[in-house]
Amino acid sequence: MESPTLEITAPAATPAAPKTTVPFGVNEIRLNAREWIVTLAIVLTCAIAIPRVWKAIEPFHPGSDYRIPYALSKDYWLYQRRIDQINDPDRIPILGDSVIWGEYVRPDGTLSHFLNRQADRSDRFVNCGVNGVFPLAMQGLVDDYARSLKGRKVIVHCNILWLTSPERDLSTDKEASFNHSRLVPQFFPRIPCYRADANERISAVLDRHVNFYAWVNHFRDAYYQEQSIPRWTLDDDGNDPPTFPNAWKNPLAPLKAGIPQEPPVDPDRGPTSPRHKPWTADGAEPSYFDWVDLNASMQWRAFRQVLTRLRDRGDDVLVVIGPFNEHHVAEAQRPTSLALRDGIAAWLAQNKVPVVVPETLPSDLYADASHPLTAGYALLAERIWNDPVFQKWLAVAEVKP
Amino acid sequence: MLFYTWPFLIFMLVVLPGYFALRRTRFWILWLLAASYFFYAWWNPYYLLLVVYSTTLDYLLVALMDHCPRQESGEPLIARLLHGPVRNVPLAASQINNAGPPTHLVSPPESSNTQRRDPVLAAAFRISALLTAILAAVAAFGPVTLRPASLALATLVLFMAVGARLGSRGAWLVISIINNLALLLFFKYARFVEENLNQVLHFLHLAYRFPDPSKLMPHGWEYALPVGISFFTFQSMSYTIDFYLGKAPRERNILRFATFVCFFPQLMAGPIERARQMLPQFQKAPPFRLDDVTDGMSLFLVGLFKKLALANYLGIYVDRVYNNNPDGFDATTLVLATMAFAWQIFFDFSGYTDMARGLARMLGFNLILNFNNPYLASGLGDFWSRWHISLSTWFRDYLYIPLGGNRRGAFATYRNLFLTFLISGIWHGAAWTFAIWGLLHAAGVMLTRGLERSAFYRERVPLALKRAWVFLYVCFAWIFFRANSLSDAGTIVSRIFTAGWRSPQIPALMLALVCGIWIYQLTYESRFRPILRYAPLRVAMAAGMMLYIGLCSTSGQAFIYFQF
Repeated sequence: MESPTLEITAPAATPAAPKTTVPFGVNEIRLNAREWIVTLAIVLTCAIAIPRVWKAIEPFHPGSDYRIPYALSKDYWLYQRRIDQINDPDRIPILGDSVIWGEYVRPDGTLSHFLNRQADRSDRFVNCGVNGVFPLAMQGLVDDYARSLKGRKVIVHCNILWLTSPERDLSTDKEASFNHSRLVPQFFPRIPCYRADANERISAVLDRHVNFYAWVNHFRDAYYQEQSIPRWTLDDDGNDPPTFPNAWKNPLAPLKAGIPQEPPVDPDRGPTSPRHKPWTADGAEPSYFDWVDLNASMQWRAFRQVLTRLRDRGDDVLVVIGPFNEHHVAEAQRPTSLALRDGIAAWLAQNKVPVVVPETLPSDLYADASHPLTAGYALLAERIWNDPVFQKWLAVAEVKP
Repeated sequence: MLFYTWPFLIFMLVVLPGYFALRRTRFWILWLLAASYFFYAWWNPYYLLLVVYSTTLDYLLVALMDHCPRQESGEPLIARLLHGPVRNVPLAASQINNAGPPTHLVSPPESSNTQRRDPVLAAAFRISALLTAILAAVAAFGPVTLRPASLALATLVLFMAVGARLGSRGAWLVISIINNLALLLFFKYARFVEENLNQVLHFLHLAYRFPDPSKLMPHGWEYALPVGISFFTFQSMSYTIDFYLGKAPRERNILRFATFVCFFPQLMAGPIERARQMLPQFQKAPPFRLDDVTDGMSLFLVGLFKKLALANYLGIYVDRVYNNNPDGFDATTLVLATMAFAWQIFFDFSGYTDMARGLARMLGFNLILNFNNPYLASGLGDFWSRWHISLSTWFRDYLYIPLGGNRRGAFATYRNLFLTFLISGIWHGAAWTFAIWGLLHAAGVMLTRGLERSAFYRERVPLALKRAWVFLYVCFAWIFFRANSLSDAGTIVSRIFTAGWRSPQIPALMLALVCGIWIYQLTYESRFRPILRYAPLRVAMAAGMMLYIGLCSTSGQAFIYFQF
């Protein structure tokens, strides 16, 4: 068979695989393996050393009645430092939320202050409350920032306010934003209303386990209003058009001021503050709450885990429940509220956790559903102090680490 | 999943060991492809369908193109439509001189109809015709939500049926280009076109209005710009064009081709790679080299620093000026914010590119250089050979040169430059501001082309002056690129020349950082460059950058070019 006339139609030159002549880049920061090892060693050393050196040189002398300032509520590195400083085994930290911290009162109007007064000492009971922390967040706080609480007496406050609705319990499916989200369990158990993306969750986990990140947060929170230095230089004055008062300031200047303290005169707290008044002063009425089932509650489960963790560390834990403002609860719902409180107390007794359940305070000593006013704290401290369970617990000197 | 986030680190901690473990097996390419698809699906799983669709279609079109003769048979169009394409006879093995693209022969015109028909093209015709009928039926009688998409697909497969009947390489190329541009047009420009056309209709007092493109999405799926669409469509299109022109071989392995289209380091924002540069790299797994890993890490670190330490920081300042009413700002602030944006977009985009190149290098692949210190350019032409090089060369090779380049006289050259820059501007986004930005660069290049080639400019004008003028002109054009509207851009330009000059509000730290980078770049391009190679300095800079990122990184938006 005769072959047809053929015409080659392919290109004459066939593209070959390109040689690797692609330039590296337009900089000289090209490290070889050895240089990378040196670089990483330097960075690692700095990351380990800086927080330690900082701790050694940064003045921090909390006196009696000290509490973490409101503005530093999320400075968990400082909280850890505060906890680490309670090295005298005779001192008793009180863990809890804003009820312990003292939302409406000055540092000398808190539960720890009045318990110290009852004890006739100035520093036996230590205010370790954090404003806005709830059991799910306290779990993270205790797990990662209160590791030095070992083999000592600890008082933990249980606030049943967190069980008054699925939203407060964080068990609702509706997306919610809440305080201290970086302290809650990021992956397990799943908190249905918490919708942070994967990056934020991993970043929160790293904050809690890498001291350098926690220190960076402290650095930002304590000196730069929770911002990085570059962002601080761009703080604007809120005007339109904005001006940037920090633009030409020395970025290191805020370090001179030291860790912020509570303002000498706090317009939001203390007997002279307009907020410091009975909850009924503005005509508020008792409310109906959407109580959650204790067995299904995320906050209660977290609270139990806090206790378990502390006891595993050899701490001798005493729980103070409430006192919740029962006057704030609608008459029809009070049995529910009391049943919930009793259920908690029963579980604690069953698990051999000393528990003090102070009587509800008079209505006019509450500022809201759970926070007492200054006189309320004084009365509460007296009642706790005089409780035989408390006295018995205090009398047991030895704590097995 | 942005490169600088923790999930991406975890992703890489899985992908890298898996890749190195599979390097000696035939599954390595599948691993890379799976990783790339996972990476893309992280953004929006639905839009992965778009990438797969685009990839599959271009792969098929090139395969079909490969069955067509390289030279047209000379038969009349009608005859080819009636009788089908000329059969494409592969060369005997002995006649192929190397492993390049398949070489085909044109059979003699006197062959019978049976011999003339290429079975693949004939099958393609039958399948396309059948699909056209099915899709047309769905478009006419199917669920309402599927009708627009079915109609579009029916049109496409109808073109394919015609292409199969014609048996012309050009027909397949046209289908590929139409398909890719249609995707871009619909997802990126449809709303812009619809709004402008409706304004014209309103102006003409006509009642008809074009529907919102979101109404055309099937099943009410969200109408949003798929991240990276401009990049992967251009990359895929470059393959079909290069194959048509005989500059790239046909890739027979669809896994390799799919990996080329969606290789995760450069999928979102380039660099836009060419098939002839990348596909050969996917032929076999690159050998593991420690230098590749350390080079990749070095590139990645620089990119990370550019993005987290510089671009995001500058972005806050730029946003506060550009996102507010520009009437309130004095000239100093507007000028500084514009210059800050110039650096922001450079750090943002080149930072992304550095990270992309670094990641690819860790895997053993080389991506092209995309930025070459553009703000040290001594002319606007020079600027475009240093800025977004992969896009500039793409437009040069696939638009400017096919239009005739500079070979058809001065008028045609300027027309081609004008069109290339205009289209390049519009490529960036569906807004008139981008078109104006492109036109400003077109005007700048056209006006200075002659000057820049003159001996006077090259030899007598001081380099610093040339660099300064280019930087200022580029900054001027950036005003239109960044402004939220044409009206804002006009106000900013007007106020720069009319409002008072007051004390600068830009942070000293920002100025120091930018000046530091500028000095580094100047040193890099000077005779003092060896100083930068001093090992302790390099180590100190790398450690300094890592610590700065750890302490001072600023959160911000995703990469600017993701929106393009």
